[in-house]
Formats: sequence, C-alpha cells, structure tokens
Amino acid sequence: MIEVCELSKHHGHLHVLRGINLTVRQGEVAAVIGPSGGGKSTLLRCINGLEKFQAGSVRVGELSLKAGGTKSEQLRALRQRIGMVFQQFHLFPHLTVLENVLSGPLWAQGRTRAEAEPEALTLLERVGMRDKANVRPEQLSGGQQQRVAIARALAVHPEAILFDEPTSALDPRMAGEVLGVMSDLAKAGQTMIVVTHAMSFARRVAHTVHVMHEGTVAESGPPEQIFGAARTEVTRQFLHEAMRH
Amino acid sequence: MTEAPAPSSHFRRRLPLLAGLVLLFGSLSQTHAQADLPPLRWGGDAAGGAPFIYGPSTNRVGFEVELIAFLAKQIGRHPVFVQADWDTLPDTLQRGNIDIAMNGMEFVPEREQEFASTLPYFIYTLRLIVRTNDDSVKGWEDLKRQPGKPRLRVGVLRGSVAERYMRTKFGDDVEVIPTREVDETFQLVEGGERLDVTVQDSPAAAYYVEGGKLPQLKVVGEPVAPGYYIILTRKSDTELREALNGAIREAVRSGEIERIYRKYKLWSKEQEQLRLLVEKPWPPAPEDVPASVTAKLSLKSLRTALLRATGVTISLACLAMPLAILLGIGIAVGRLYGPWWVRTPLAVYVEILRGTPLLLQMYVLFFLVPMAARAIGWQPLISLVTLPAFAVGVLGLAFNYSAYESEIYRAGLQAIPRGQMEAALSLGMSRSKAIWHIILPQAVRLVVPPVTNDFIALFKDTSICSVILITDLTGLYYQNKYDREIALQLALVVGLLYLAMSYPLSLLARRLESQPLKVEG
Ligand SMILES: Nc1ncnc2c1ncn2[C@@H]1O[C@H](COP(=O)(O)OP(=O)(O)O)[C@@H](O)[C@H]1O
Ligand SMILES: [Mg+2]
Repeated sequence: MIEVCELSKHHGHLHVLRGINLTVRQGEVAAVIGPSGGGKSTLLRCINGLEKFQAGSVRVGELSLKAGGTKSEQLRALRQRIGMVFQQFHLFPHLTVLENVLSGPLWAQGRTRAEAEPEALTLLERVGMRDKANVRPEQLSGGQQQRVAIARALAVHPEAILFDEPTSALDPRMAGEVLGVMSDLAKAGQTMIVVTHAMSFARRVAHTVHVMHEGTVAESGPPEQIFGAARTEVTRQFLHEAMRH
Repeated sequence: MTEAPAPSSHFRRRLPLLAGLVLLFGSLSQTHAQADLPPLRWGGDAAGGAPFIYGPSTNRVGFEVELIAFLAKQIGRHPVFVQADWDTLPDTLQRGNIDIAMNGMEFVPEREQEFASTLPYFIYTLRLIVRTNDDSVKGWEDLKRQPGKPRLRVGVLRGSVAERYMRTKFGDDVEVIPTREVDETFQLVEGGERLDVTVQDSPAAAYYVEGGKLPQLKVVGEPVAPGYYIILTRKSDTELREALNGAIREAVRSGEIERIYRKYKLWSKEQEQLRLLVEKPWPPAPEDVPASVTAKLSLKSLRTALLRATGVTISLACLAMPLAILLGIGIAVGRLYGPWWVRTPLAVYVEILRGTPLLLQMYVLFFLVPMAARAIGWQPLISLVTLPAFAVGVLGLAFNYSAYESEIYRAGLQAIPRGQMEAALSLGMSRSKAIWHIILPQAVRLVVPPVTNDFIALFKDTSICSVILITDLTGLYYQNKYDREIALQLALVVGLLYLAMSYPLSLLARRLESQPLKVEG
C-alpha cells in the first residue's frame, strides 16, 4: 500500500536519505527505529509530501510522489489518505478539542458539521477524550493532547497513519496512555508507520521493524529477528545503547 | 450711482512720463533705501493669490504689494515680506514674527480687544460666484434651501468674514464648506463635484471672475456685506500705527491708492467712501459699523457643530480602521505566501505609503487624482475617482494605515510555528484553507495589542482630514479659532473630546498587552 523506492534527499550538502526502499502492506504496522539524526523524521515527511526529495519515488496506492515536486491537488489527495501524528502534537490552540478533530472533515474534505460531528465524537470516545470535547488544548496534559491529535488524524479516514515519535515528549505514564490507543488501532487493522524509541511497543505491536542509520535502512525484519537475532552490527550496537537508557 | 471720477485728462497725459520717472528714481532710491531703512516685516499669504499678493517669490506683485511699498516709503521703512498661512496671521503677529499683518485682513470689532487696526485701505463686499453654465443660482435668494433638494455646498475661505456671513445669514439653508485657498476653491467650483458655489471677497471676484481669468465661473447677485480691509498691528505699537494711518491718509488724499486700484481694476464706487473714512477717527463708533461686520457666531450653534464634528471624527476612525486591517491582512498574506509578481508590487505599495506623509497622500487622493482623471477626460473614470470628501478621508486613512497593519500582520503570521501549517497540510487542507482557518485566526489574536495601539494613532490622524474640506473636530477648531473668545475654550473642548475617545482605547491596549495570548510552541 505504501512503497518507497530509492528515495534520496539532500539538505544542502547533507545527504539525509541515501536510497531508501521500504514497503508497507495494507494493515501492517511498521516500526522505524534507529539513532537520532538517522533520517527517520525526514522519511516520514517525504512520504506525506511535507518535504521535497531529489531522487526516487513514493507510491501510495495509485497516487505517487516524484522527485522535484508534485501538483498540489495530488498532494492534497495523498495527504488525506495518509495521516500524520507529530512528536509536538501541533494541535490548533485557537480551536476546541472537538473543533480540532473536525478541522480535517470540514476544511480539507468539505463535509458539513452536522454530518461530521457525531463521528468526531465517536473518535474522541475511542481515544478516551469525549468528556474534554469542548475545552481548549492548553488545558490538556501532553498525553491527552496527543490522543486528540490521533483522533484528528483519524477523522479524515486515512488509509495509513504516520507517527513521528508520538511519545517522546511525554512522561512514561502519559506515554502509556498514547501507546495503548495506538495498540488498539493496530488491533483494528490500521496501517501505520511508527517512528519510536519505545522498544517494547515495537516488539509487541509491529509486524515489521526497520532500523535506520545515516540515511539508509540498515536492517528490516520481524521483531523476533531484530530484537532476538539481529543480523547487522548497526542494529546490535543501537539496541545495546537503547537498553542502557 | 455716480461713477468714480476719472483722473483729470491733464494727469492722465502726464502719467506715462511720471511713471517712468518714478520708476527710475524709485529704483535708484530703493537700492539706497534697502541698505539704510529699518525693515518693516509685513505678513501675508502669497498662496491667497491675485490680486492681493502674487507672482514669483523673487518678484511679488499685487495691489497690496504696491500699497505697502508706498506706505513703507512714507514712514521711512523698507518692507520685507514674511509668508504665513492666512488664518494664522494674527497669531504670527502676536508671537512677534511680523510687525504688521496686511493681506485682506477684514475689520472685525472683537479683534480690536487684542490687536489694533489701522485706517481702512480698501472697502470690500462679498460676491457670489457660480459656474457659468449653472442657471439654478441667479442670486442670493437662490441659496435658500429648496424642499426636496440637497443643500447647496458653499465654499468659503476658512476663518474669513465670508464664512461667518454665510453661517449666520444662511445657517442651515446651505452646507458651508471651509476651504484653505482661493485658487483651490475656484477649482472645486469649476469641477462641480465638491462645491456648487463660492462666496469671495470682491477683489478675488473682480480679478479672477469679472476679469475673465476663469471663464467657467461668473459673479451673480448684488454685492453684499461691505466691510473694510485694515492693517493689523500689535496694540502696543501705537507709534507705528499712527505713522501708517498718516501714510494711508496720504495715499488716499493724493490719489495714489486710486491709481493702484485702477491698475488692478479694483476701483469701484465703494472705494469713494475711503476719502471720508480716513478723515474720521478709527475704529468707528459701533453704530457706524455695517451690520454685516458685527455678525457674531453663537455658542449654541457651535454645540450642534461640535456634536456633528465628533461624529465625523468617530466615523472616520471606525470606518478607516477595519478597512486598513482588511487591506493589511490581504497585503501580509500576499507578501508571505504569494508569487513574486504579487509580492513585489505589494512591497512597493507598503514602502511608498510608509515613506510619504499622510498629508501629501490626502492631497493626492483629493485633488490630484481627480485632476488627472479630468485630464484623461473619460467621464466614468472621473466620476469614479471624484469621491465625496468623507469617502476620500476614509480611504486615505485606510490606505495609509494598511501599510502599517500589513507589517504587523506579517510579523504575526510569521510568529505562528511552522508545525501549525504542517499539521493543517497533513490533514489534506489546501494552503489557502490552512492560512484562512488555522494560521490567520491565531495571528489576528496575537496582534490585537499593536493593532489597538495603531487604532489610537489613527484616531488622532483623522485630524488630517480637515485639509480636504471635512469638518471633523480639528476642522471645526480651525474654522472657529479666529473668534478669539471661543478659540481657547474650543481648543480645550476639542482636546478633551479626543482624549475621552482615545484614553479608553489606551487602557484596553495596555490590558491586552499585559495578557499575551498563548500560541503553541
Ligand atoms: N530542515 C533541515 N535543514 C537541514 N538539515 C536538516 C533539516 N532537517 C533535518 N536535517 C538533518 O537531517 C538529518 C536527519 O534528520 P531527521 O530526519 O530529523 O533524523 P531523525 O528523525 O532520525 O532523528 C539530521 O542530520 C538533521 O540535522
Ligand atoms: Mg526525528
């Protein structure tokens, strides 16, 4: 369903992505792990068109992004099929929780409020935030904000959701709430790419784990392989470092 | 109805020879005089124009220029012209920057409490002037309000006796619109979009209109409200005043004044009275003053005028600011998100409006743009750009402030973290939807304090609209400050009214500034 092919990206002289190949099937949960600065965020941002890239391609179903830019109509279509959840939440501070969730249906999809609202409330129910529907984001804890952000992403019915370190800005208890919601999504068959430092989550929930290092995918495989029988030195080294923290 | 006596034929024949001699000796002695004689600083407004004082600043001509040359010579002084706005001449005299004010200064009895006038040197009347092709106004009676028709707009020099005459005599029948300059006023009547008629002192009417300089205008009706032009001196300068009175008497007795006035086609039967007047004591006893001169503005009529002017000031500000904000937002968005061919002209627009004075911009919008349109001569364009003065005021303020608001909103938009735009885009919103629903509302909240501050500034800048015939609070003050009894109270009241309106806004701005709005990140 998502196919990244020989993706290459420069930031000035910095070669951030060096020919990435990655495939995510319908219903699959892919975890992306690896040391900081390896290009994980950049990869996600390229997949939903927030960053341009210089070579290779990204395909989502029959839509595709090409090196050197894509028409904005095509980008919009693709973005509605791929949701994104950010490390810093990026909720809209001037809107209530419910309005945040409605923002996509109303302003991206042109649906009516009357039609979209019941569903938005159901989504808030699903992430355990229904009772906060009418408060502003500033009154919520980080974990609550991230759960609203997930509901917001789900509201446009994306076929896949990209998570960029969704729990890194949260303390462990709040991270647990968010990871719980994500596990539920995975069980429901939601296609997801999750960049994360939460190794236990990757191990438990992911179908495939990709290790990124210096702009390349160093190793890909099922969690049992990555966490039990890593085949590359990069993976072993990274996991060793990660366990110490 | 006897004509002014023609100069004797004997005198007339010898005139050219005499004039030649006077010129020769005059110029010789003048070079001497310039060096030796003490200067007499006389204040006037050359912008008031012909036939009073006009011509290039290096070579002024006009009946007053010639008269003062004669008078100064008589008293052994050498005249030095000092330029001042006409309606500020008395104040300039009081401040001591000039020794005398002489430029169509009308004799106003109340003014004698603060200044002292010399003997009159000219007897003027008020003349009604209309467009040549306008047959609806044939005389003063036609100025009365016709039921069902809009009031006629009458241009009068602000602070002039003509203004006061129109206000007291016609009150609510006409709309009195005070103007700053004679030229400007005639132009506006010719144009017809802003003024229907004007009332001017007889010299201007005689020179410009009856003299055929402005064929599009004609003088109608009888001359009314005779009055005297006098030279204004400080009360304490008794010696100077006595000397000038002697010189004026001499000018009248010797026929010099008649010679000058005939040269400018200003001699009329009214001037005959000068011969009697200069032999009598001055100022005249109250019962000898023509009623038109003593007409006085009542404070009560000023109260309604104040109320109306306050309304004008408030409406100017309250209409201009929202417009400035809307324009400013559009400009800011265009400059931040638009392609280069949008960004570049907008940047030029902002720099021009921020880099030139608001006063100049008002003049351009009000006078020059319609003039340019008339030069092009395409009627729809002319009607489009010749807006009512009030609309020009609102637009001028809005354009000017839009440049400042756009900079504020640009900063506000840039202060919204990138993540907000990215989150909106990742939901599939178009860029314009994201700007409209996500970025702009946050930016607008963020810049409420600086925008409120600008509103206060705009509030005070509405005063500039008084130069384009709008009677706002400042305009009202300018129109009435010649009445020196009211001037100080009026200044106080007007100042307090401005303060009463801007102070609550200041408080609001301060409160908003102390509670900054939260932005993500
Ligand atoms: N906008 C940018 N400009 C320049 N360099 C960037 C930019 N964004 C990311 N980088 C660089 O690209 C590399 C990969 O960054 P990133 O994708 O954020 O890695 P990760 O998410 O794996 O930590 C880093 O070296 C980072 O400094
Ligand atoms: Mg990252």
